[in-house]
Amino acid sequence: MINKQSGFVSRSMLVLGFLFLYLPIFVLMFYSFNESKLVTVWAGFSTKWYFELFKDEQMMNAVGMSLKIAFFSASAAVVLGTMAAIIMVRHRNFRGKTLFTGMITAPLVMPEVITGLSLLLLFVTLAQAFGWPEKRGMLTIWIAHSTFCMAYVAVVVSSRLKEMDRSLEEAAMDLGANRLQVFTSITLPIISPALFSGWLLAFTLSLDDLVIASFVSGPGSTTLPMVVFSSVRLGVSPKINALATLMVLAVSLAAFIGWWFMRRQEQRRQLEMQAAFDNK
Amino acid sequence: MKAIKSLVAATAIAVSAGAIAAEEKVLNVYNWSDYIAEDTLALFTKETGIKVVYDVFDSNDVLEAKMLSGKTGYDIVVPSSTFLARQITAGVFQPLDRAKIPNYKELDKAMMAKLASLDPNNAHSIPYLWGTTGIGINVAKVKERLGEDYELNTWDLVFNPEVVAKLADCGVTLLDSWDEVMPAALNYLGEDPTTLDAKLFKGAAKDALMAIRPSIRYFHSSQYINDLANGDVCVSVGWSGDILQAMDRADEAENGVEIQYIIPKEGAGLWFDMLAIPSDADHPENAHAFLNFLMRPDIMAGISNYVWYPNAVPASKALIDEEIVSDPAIYPTAEVEAKLYTFNVYPPKLDRTGSRAWTSIKTGK
Repeated sequence: MINKQSGFVSRSMLVLGFLFLYLPIFVLMFYSFNESKLVTVWAGFSTKWYFELFKDEQMMNAVGMSLKIAFFSASAAVVLGTMAAIIMVRHRNFRGKTLFTGMITAPLVMPEVITGLSLLLLFVTLAQAFGWPEKRGMLTIWIAHSTFCMAYVAVVVSSRLKEMDRSLEEAAMDLGANRLQVFTSITLPIISPALFSGWLLAFTLSLDDLVIASFVSGPGSTTLPMVVFSSVRLGVSPKINALATLMVLAVSLAAFIGWWFMRRQEQRRQLEMQAAFDNK
Repeated sequence: MKAIKSLVAATAIAVSAGAIAAEEKVLNVYNWSDYIAEDTLALFTKETGIKVVYDVFDSNDVLEAKMLSGKTGYDIVVPSSTFLARQITAGVFQPLDRAKIPNYKELDKAMMAKLASLDPNNAHSIPYLWGTTGIGINVAKVKERLGEDYELNTWDLVFNPEVVAKLADCGVTLLDSWDEVMPAALNYLGEDPTTLDAKLFKGAAKDALMAIRPSIRYFHSSQYINDLANGDVCVSVGWSGDILQAMDRADEAENGVEIQYIIPKEGAGLWFDMLAIPSDADHPENAHAFLNFLMRPDIMAGISNYVWYPNAVPASKALIDEEIVSDPAIYPTAEVEAKLYTFNVYPPKLDRTGSRAWTSIKTGK
């Protein structure tokens, strides 16, 4: 009886939790099919905002820009963040390790305004002193985003590294693998889920960022959040709902493909393990 | 006449095109979002061959941070007038070469004279679009409380304690910026709204605002747009463009709310968004060509027709939709226009005095 009751309570908690997370997104998607220009007043079904969206060159350019920057930032952040995580976890006590660890994670708690402004000043000073970067634009946003995303990746990857069973690496080395081989064929596959989620996290953070990008952007590098935010002054257009709907669909599709791929790999691994035991 | 004008313009462009041969055919523009006609840039590129890279910003503050740190990469920026004045003193804009802007003569002389208080001799900037800081009202609710025949075009709606008290229950709001509301109060009291006398801010203006403080629902600079449109507040001191937008939203929602924008007969504050060229712009020649292009009456008319903001080129009026030109809320009548005043830029000390007085008004102490 008690069991049943707690089952009901936990299930309704689950439902409420999911509603809280997903209801706003569904409302937003729902209103993308609204006829009216007002985001909150329903005036009949229409797909006109999707056509309007594709006609809006500025917004489409901004989408492309944001996706490009997010892709490259996430990739750079994964490489740099993983390197930082390995040093944080694997290298035993070197001078200034605490300081290093602290500094890697500092961008997590740094207000965005400060990060943005300091990077802007850095780029300006660099340009004055060395003539580089000559112009601010996509490159500077990429650098800025890689910097702060790296910190998040480092945290995600280092927790996975800490949990990893080191005896696997030692076994590989006993069997004659060199350090590079150990890293590529043992360590990397084991931490790959963390790399994957770190990459996605970095991608999302970069796509989402308004403040830092506003500071370090230059001519011809307006990102999507900048366009959305600057259009708020004249009212949010349902085009943004349409865009968000497409993005949610794209992300869901990508997540589904990722899940399917991982499951297939997992099944294959299970089969191989089975085969290995059978052959014994 | 028009043919001659466009011929002159074409030659001017041809001549300047010869001069800018050395410059890359690119122009980087940084403007507010949705603040230009859809075809303006394409027309400019077609006539001059200069490709326009167009970016948007959402606040004067972001623009200012970029301008003051330098090397923005933009050739044209559009700050609001008071921000521009501050930035000019920091030396971030280059003086305009009027010889390269033949259409400069199209600009409204009276308006340029007013702007000279912010940009001495109008050396660095040209007005793009402008507007006023007036009152938005929910007509039905205000009439219900003040009577059908009440004269609505007056600051009494906000600054007369007895009148405001009657309106308090349906919601009266003020902009959250002392440097626009306090001059309006001073103007209402018959003082000079552009005064730099600290005593007036600490004394008369503060007292007047304290007297109406109990009736003010909130101080905010954008929330009133939606609240007016939804009928949640009935009197808002706000910017013309925003209140016209509230009007639009109410229309589209078909919720029966009728909003009116009032430029009171006592006069109102005037703000401008200004075109200027950063001193480190890479393409100053192209920027001048663009300014010249924008000041052409037919181009400016196209912009006003699209964004519904008045411009500073009187000759464009003939080409702007009747609906816009004849709306006294957009283009004030000559009589009202004479009473409009520009907002002053305050020295740091007065700035502190003003914001301190404002804080105590807001907190009601």
